[in-house]
Amino acid sequence: MSAVIAVTDLTKRYRGVTALDGISFSLAENRIHGLLGRNGAGKTTLMQILTGQHFATSGQVSVFGQHPYENEQVLARMSFIKESQTYPTNLRVTHVLRAARLVYPSWNEEFAQRLVEVFQLPRGRNVRKLSRGMLSALGIVVGLASRAPLTFFDEPYLGLDAVARQHFYDHLLADYTEHPRTIVLSTHLIDEVSDLIEHVLLLDRGRLLLDVEAEALRGQVVTVSGPVAAVQEFARTGTELHRASLGGTTRLTVRGDFGPAAQDRARALGLVLEASSLQDIVVRLSTATDSSTPTPAGVTSEETIR
Amino acid sequence: MNRTLIVARLQFVAWCSVVGWPWGILMLSFLINVALFSTIGDSEDFEPRTGGLVSIYIVMFIASINAITQDFPFALGLGVSRRSFYLGNVLNYAGQAISYAAVLYLLAVIEEATDGWGVNLLFFGLPFLVVDNPVLRFLSFALPFLLLGFVGIAIALVFKRWGVNGMLTLSTTALAGLGGLVVLANWRGWWSVIGGWLADQPGWALLVGWPALLTLPLAGISYLIIRRATP
Amino acid sequence: MEDSRPIFLQIAELLENSILDGTLAEEGQVPSTNELAAFHRINPATAAKGVNKLVDDGTLYKKRGIGMFVSSGARAKLRGRRRDEFARQYVQPLLTEARKLGIEPAELKNMIDAKGESR
Repeated sequence: MSAVIAVTDLTKRYRGVTALDGISFSLAENRIHGLLGRNGAGKTTLMQILTGQHFATSGQVSVFGQHPYENEQVLARMSFIKESQTYPTNLRVTHVLRAARLVYPSWNEEFAQRLVEVFQLPRGRNVRKLSRGMLSALGIVVGLASRAPLTFFDEPYLGLDAVARQHFYDHLLADYTEHPRTIVLSTHLIDEVSDLIEHVLLLDRGRLLLDVEAEALRGQVVTVSGPVAAVQEFARTGTELHRASLGGTTRLTVRGDFGPAAQDRARALGLVLEASSLQDIVVRLSTATDSSTPTPAGVTSEETIR
Repeated sequence: MNRTLIVARLQFVAWCSVVGWPWGILMLSFLINVALFSTIGDSEDFEPRTGGLVSIYIVMFIASINAITQDFPFALGLGVSRRSFYLGNVLNYAGQAISYAAVLYLLAVIEEATDGWGVNLLFFGLPFLVVDNPVLRFLSFALPFLLLGFVGIAIALVFKRWGVNGMLTLSTTALAGLGGLVVLANWRGWWSVIGGWLADQPGWALLVGWPALLTLPLAGISYLIIRRATP
Repeated sequence: MEDSRPIFLQIAELLENSILDGTLAEEGQVPSTNELAAFHRINPATAAKGVNKLVDDGTLYKKRGIGMFVSSGARAKLRGRRRDEFARQYVQPLLTEARKLGIEPAELKNMIDAKGESR
């Protein structure tokens, strides 16, 4: 599979803040990539540089094999839907759609109109008078109907309720299936998208913590609890991420290669084994250096390794 | 289709409001003036002059600022390059300036033919400057649009790229520069010379020549600024 | 998908279950990967991986240009394999728990018989 995006040693600093700290990765074509991380991790900055809207401090960026900055050939093949997108205040919903139709070569008007119905967008309403959720829905309609070979969604669902978000995921999946393209989905609602994404990039404070297949990550992090000695024995091969103890009982979150046999092993040792969801894994990994988690007296809790 | 043309069309998707604002306000001003002066007596030697024509230039100036503060982030969000945006924006604005100037010219001709709309009103004609050459007369309507437009674009871009600090620096520098010139002129007693020079300038030079000379460098500088601006 | 095992394994297992309980008949057509993806709200590539796992072990076979079908004899084969797993997945933990509670194997057998009769 060929890489649509290749990033080498990318750094972005502004006013003393390091938003991206020498990250390198590549994204394969026609897959759904999840760009995960906490607010301020550098996700938006990364996408702004990839779409040629912002400038890197150092490092190389290549999109469709070329640098995106002022590159019409590359820019015309991308669609970037961001939460902070603003619209000229004299435009109505129909105007925004007409503008998008002019700009995107692969725009599908029929699909756009269908999505407008799905999200119940008032076509004649001025963008200034749209609620937060409607603005998000408008962005989603533009992003999906653009059918751009490379589409970025940056937290596209602010203000959308669970039903509307499910509409988004369903239409994204259905349209992606029929018209394969590369999609980068930046989100912190990880549980909702964990089944959609094939590949995970996890950013934390400007650094890349994970660059893995989503499937490979499943079952990689487990939480095991029981008597200290047994827990210790079970977790021997893994990397400890979090430990909480109460009396002689310990609960340990470990990262390692735990296959289906792990369940049997845990049972044999009399331990309770819980596999972590993608969301838990991300939380554990991105807070592994954060030792500020409050714990009641009698319980010791420590984050060990990142 | 060429991306520059796409941008020019993109800015025209809500053409009703794009055309409606400048002409709506100009027409309102015109109608008020007609109504006002038709009630005031119609003595032969009374020839009312108004500054109402300026309103359309002010609206277009504001529109040129909005193009940078609002259309620019929108267009870049849609994957348009800065270069295409700039050229398309200029194309769109210049297209409006030229067609609006043509309409204003036409209205000025009608105004003359109808003896000031029957009430001796001088609204579209330019009272203080007489330009006879039709081409120069057309340009004297068009060039002020272009100058104001590029001033608006340049100012908005300084704000876009350098924020409030950039605006403060720009206005401080401009004030200091102008103030310095005034002081210098006072000190050296240049005012009569300057006044004489201005009076000697033909009307077309003030409305066409000098605006054109100022517009060109502004256009160049704006292009350089926008190439490194972020939405 | 609920549990945390790789989704493609869960998809494969769901298809196996359908074959075991007869919902998917032998020589019957299997839903396409796109249908599976839309139904389970998962990535189509993942659904394809699950289906391919069953193709690799001979449970399903591909008819070019038409789709995936259940192989003849797949049901019996699956049942045999699941029986082996049954001992490991259910009987072993049952015995471990019984031992912890001091339930003798004979007593356990009686409990199972009683449950079986009451159904």
